[in-house]
Amino acid sequence: MRYLTTKRALLMLTALCGMCLAGGQVPTARADSGNIEVGVIGPMTGANAPYGSLAWRGASLAVKEINAAGGVLGHKIELVRGDSQCTPVEGVLALQRMIENNHIHFVLGDICSSATLAYEPIVENAKVLLLNAASSDPAITHKAGVGGFKWVFRDYPTDEQRAGIVLKYAAEQDHIHKVAILSVDNDYGRGAIALSKEFFQRYGITAVSEDYFQAATTEFLPVLNKIKDSGAQAILMYGYAASSRLVARQMLESGLAGKIILIGNGDFTNPQTIAAAPSVLNGAIEAAAWSPDFDSARSKTFVHDYEATYDGEVPQVHAFTHWEAINLLAAAIRKAGSVDPTAVRHALEGISFEGATGEVKFDDHHQADLPMILYQVENGKPVIKGVSRTAVVYSKP
Amino acid sequence: MLQNLLTDGLVIGSVYALVSVGMTVILGVLGQINFAHGEYYMAGAFAAWWGIDRLGLSYVAAIPLALVIVAAISLAIGYAVMQRLVDVSFDAGIIATLGISLLLQNTATLLFGGTYQIFDGGWLEPVRVLGEDVAQQRVLIFVVTLAVFGGLEWLVRKSRFGKQMRAVAQNVECCHILGVDVRRVVLITFVLGTTLAALSGVLTAPIVMNVYGSMGEAITLKSFAVIVMGGMGNISGTLLAGWLLGIMESLVAGYVGLQFRDAVAFALLVLVLMWRPSGFFTTKARY
Repeated sequence: MRYLTTKRALLMLTALCGMCLAGGQVPTARADSGNIEVGVIGPMTGANAPYGSLAWRGASLAVKEINAAGGVLGHKIELVRGDSQCTPVEGVLALQRMIENNHIHFVLGDICSSATLAYEPIVENAKVLLLNAASSDPAITHKAGVGGFKWVFRDYPTDEQRAGIVLKYAAEQDHIHKVAILSVDNDYGRGAIALSKEFFQRYGITAVSEDYFQAATTEFLPVLNKIKDSGAQAILMYGYAASSRLVARQMLESGLAGKIILIGNGDFTNPQTIAAAPSVLNGAIEAAAWSPDFDSARSKTFVHDYEATYDGEVPQVHAFTHWEAINLLAAAIRKAGSVDPTAVRHALEGISFEGATGEVKFDDHHQADLPMILYQVENGKPVIKGVSRTAVVYSKP
Repeated sequence: MLQNLLTDGLVIGSVYALVSVGMTVILGVLGQINFAHGEYYMAGAFAAWWGIDRLGLSYVAAIPLALVIVAAISLAIGYAVMQRLVDVSFDAGIIATLGISLLLQNTATLLFGGTYQIFDGGWLEPVRVLGEDVAQQRVLIFVVTLAVFGGLEWLVRKSRFGKQMRAVAQNVECCHILGVDVRRVVLITFVLGTTLAALSGVLTAPIVMNVYGSMGEAITLKSFAVIVMGGMGNISGTLLAGWLLGIMESLVAGYVGLQFRDAVAFALLVLVLMWRPSGFFTTKARY
């Protein structure tokens, strides 16, 4: 009995320690009443953690700059981090913890569309302002503003804009007419493909195969072999940096370098992705909301400051959009003249903000009308091929 | 295309087999499922990455370093936890190993950050095998798996320690009577099994490229399917089951659709449990 008790205790201790460590966000003590608490929620661990880290760093830089200049209406901003692991389940838990324990009224999130969609009813109920700066599924703002969720805003272009631009360029400039669909299996990936299909007829494109992969998949050789034999000229992919690098490497292994290009969105213009298999990434076409060489004074200042703050790390699009979102939120608070969430929400609805990529104004669905930049990789570097700005068309309810 | 798919399947199946054989020998000897098994695979990959990235070692030098590090970790865990799971209820083992799994995953995340690390190393240039281009690393994995399984079969059938392993697997009480040190056998088997998982992690890391704390979760689940298919405790059965799973996944991904690939392991698991619960390759359970 004595032996069993010691063993039981040890086992329980081990399990408890494990569960505590897995708990995630530790509830912080209530901040002093002066600070404005803003949540930043995204994938901080798991395959998409780089995106979460970029978002956090971008937001933190903006907060640092704002606080150094005196804060907003005399209050300093304090960020609260939440880990969604890019899944609705974890994201919702993290968001609820943030709302209950940290009493936040404003939150930036998520990166992953599936998680953002799950947050919408929660922030609506809790009357928390959700400013999304990274998810591209159009459904998010189709359901916002007059579409239903009044507390959700998005300062990021949608896949409706992206899908068309990419296919138009691929068909008209590179004469791509046969694509193999290979996209991530979630709202973002499937949604973007569904939108892309609406453009197929217009640009004379057919899909020779259609496959979806789990975000953490590591084996693409079987499907790449199938694509090799299918006569496809391009792979239409909506994915993430981690999977893009693997696909690129395995395309190299399968002998597809130089024969098939990647089009869509998946961090193709990120130097790390290109470095994984440069010969494969040559010619890749991607539409993104921003890249470090965007030519505007404010954008370049941001890049410079970010690199100086973070040991020379070059910011990617999500760092920029979250930096911009914090600035936008601060502008809305100033315009409202108060930190009351309802007042800020009204201020945001009618705001006209000078962003680094252009003017930010929200339509009646709380979607900002922003440009999408088309890039093609040439000789290992992304080159801007065009900028497109299209307002979203909402179907009648 | 079929030949390509079969080759891909054999290689990925070898990875599954190499990871799973550790779980099956631990189950055979200890009678417990090691739910943290994938985490030793992850630890092997991380240790090798750390050696290459932080210590500046070459990939060749990083392999033994990773094995030593993981062996040390599993020796500590084996001594503190796994040894005490002898003669204990199955539920306690589940909770303990699940707890270890969470501990290891989160320790890796705490130490190295939540972002994934990129594994730099390995031999990825293709070689021509049976008229097809296969990355050298994949050929290496296949060859090492064959060698390891050959070695394990010899260990279990011909060596003295192997006899002890089989004795413990068959009848623990008799072992106590005959003077076989059960706890020592369990400890050594555990370290051996987890080090093999780590070896699999190190060899696969150049191919999967992304190293992060929770990369072992899917591995544990698939290992579970493999050891049930192969017959729990059956070493050569595990190799065949691993290959079978790899090939089936490859064929499904190629002919049906990539999105169904992960379902194959669990579909096969359900079929085996319904039709032949002791595994495809065993008539009775255990060695």
